Amino acid sequence: MALQAAKPLIRRHSELGIFLIGAVLIVIFATTSEGRWANLYNIGTILQMTATLGLMSLGVALVIGTGEIDISVGSTFGMGALAYLWLAMQIDPVVAVFAALAVGAAIGLFNGLLVTRSGTPSLIITLGTLMIFRGIAIALTEGFSFSIPYADRKGWAYFLFGGGEFLRFNTALYWLIGALVVLMIVLKAMPFGNRLLAVGGSAESAHSRGVRVDRVKLVTFVICGMLAAFAGALEAGKLGFADGSMGRLMELQAIAACVLGGCLLAGGRISLPGALMGAFVLSSIQSYLVVTGVRPQWFLLILGLVVVIAAYGDRTLRQWALKK
Amino acid sequence: MTNNQPLIQVRNLDLYFGAFHALKNVSVDFHAGELVGLVGDNGAGKTTLIRVLCGIHTPTSGEVFFDGRKIVKFHPKLAIDQGIETIQQSVGLCDNLSIARNFYLGREPVKRFLGVPFLDFSRMRDMSTKVIRQFGLRDNVSADDEVERLSGGERQSVKIGRAVEFKNRVVIMDEPTNHLSVREREHVNELAVQLKEQGLLVIYITHDIFQVHKLADRIVIMENGEKVADAMTDSMSAEELEEVIRQGGRVIEKQEAV
Repeated sequence: MALQAAKPLIRRHSELGIFLIGAVLIVIFATTSEGRWANLYNIGTILQMTATLGLMSLGVALVIGTGEIDISVGSTFGMGALAYLWLAMQIDPVVAVFAALAVGAAIGLFNGLLVTRSGTPSLIITLGTLMIFRGIAIALTEGFSFSIPYADRKGWAYFLFGGGEFLRFNTALYWLIGALVVLMIVLKAMPFGNRLLAVGGSAESAHSRGVRVDRVKLVTFVICGMLAAFAGALEAGKLGFADGSMGRLMELQAIAACVLGGCLLAGGRISLPGALMGAFVLSSIQSYLVVTGVRPQWFLLILGLVVVIAAYGDRTLRQWALKK
Repeated sequence: MTNNQPLIQVRNLDLYFGAFHALKNVSVDFHAGELVGLVGDNGAGKTTLIRVLCGIHTPTSGEVFFDGRKIVKFHPKLAIDQGIETIQQSVGLCDNLSIARNFYLGREPVKRFLGVPFLDFSRMRDMSTKVIRQFGLRDNVSADDEVERLSGGERQSVKIGRAVEFKNRVVIMDEPTNHLSVREREHVNELAVQLKEQGLLVIYITHDIFQVHKLADRIVIMENGEKVADAMTDSMSAEELEEVIRQGGRVIEKQEAV
């Protein structure tokens, strides 16, 4: 009967599934890895991965909320990383972060304008820009990579942007928490959030109520681009190294994180904490495969299998909750 | 009742959807304090015409004047800001949002904190609760419930309640009594007359000439994208107007029985 009582809760909170899956996986990983997975150092690594993938997923979740999709974020991430490292070397990390954000915003604006002005599905537009900006990133780094030696990465600015740890966790994690809090408030308690979800729920109805649908979508694409580029800057700040392939395939992980986290691809219903939990689950799986010594060749295969099983489990759970 | 300057004046309006000629040279005036019935069969262009008036469609050619000023840009936001409230037939509510959020969509009341606008939840909830009670929604429906949960009649009630609550200068009702019970229907018709008596322009769209003939001051009939008749209700009976619709818009000389 306790199970029956849980049904309305699951129906209302589509992100509960991923939290349940996350809890189950944590138990499995912790008990089957002889302490190699569940230790503070490894958790710290997972959280750093979660932070960069999570920032990207938050942006993608917002775009999904408007009923569109942005799969160019992997390349935006790479461009952000390159912009950050290049300028951090030459000028200053703070300037470099702003430059990365500007690059992200510009890519988001480009995507958003193409989608809203042409009315072409965002899937194909951002698939195109995914390739365009990956191409530019590879061309920019042809034959060499950007790097800043560890010894040169001193000072609070490097520390602040992924280059240091605060309370044992990479500073990227705190940026993620900050972004989550701000975006949750924007989404739930501000007029823009109301309009964003309305656009995803029914663009026609939102339009008839005077919502400027294209503007809402445009702003959302810009936010998404900025978050992805910022995530790239934080990753580059941690590694001190970036090449043209940074962020490759991350766009797929970000979308998987959103969908696992209870975001409806049709738009209008998203969960930001759910998307982050999705990012955490994906990062945990990767980390588990590393610490248990699974050969890298099997990586994608196993990751994909777990994603499919998790998605199936989540769907089964929701359908069970919908039944009487 | 009719003052000299029309509140809304439509002149030689044409609208194409691609190659489809949806509105053909439509000219019509609407005055403040008037209840106009806009009648016609399915596909006659009634809804298309009012979708121009409420800013959803931009006409291909022709002019629309509001309060004497020519409208240059068509957008629902501009129409709503001018005081034109529309109860649309198929759109207007987002299923994924609560009643309170739908109620204020596009003009959310805010409380500013350090200049940042935050939704004023208590105002949104109070106002929409008041309206859903007035319109007799089930007691277990709250303003925080998603619209998805509502029945067809309840959705219609929310839309009508919203338009009446924000009433300003013009209320356009597109088939407002669809999905409604007999009692709700009477309530809506009374509201339409009340709004008119308060000096608003009410445009009431329906198939049912007999229903609207009782309420309206004037009837405009559309057929096939054209305006085919425009008559005061005291000069033509509902039967005569029905005949006009039946004849596809031609006023037929009735043959005398010999």
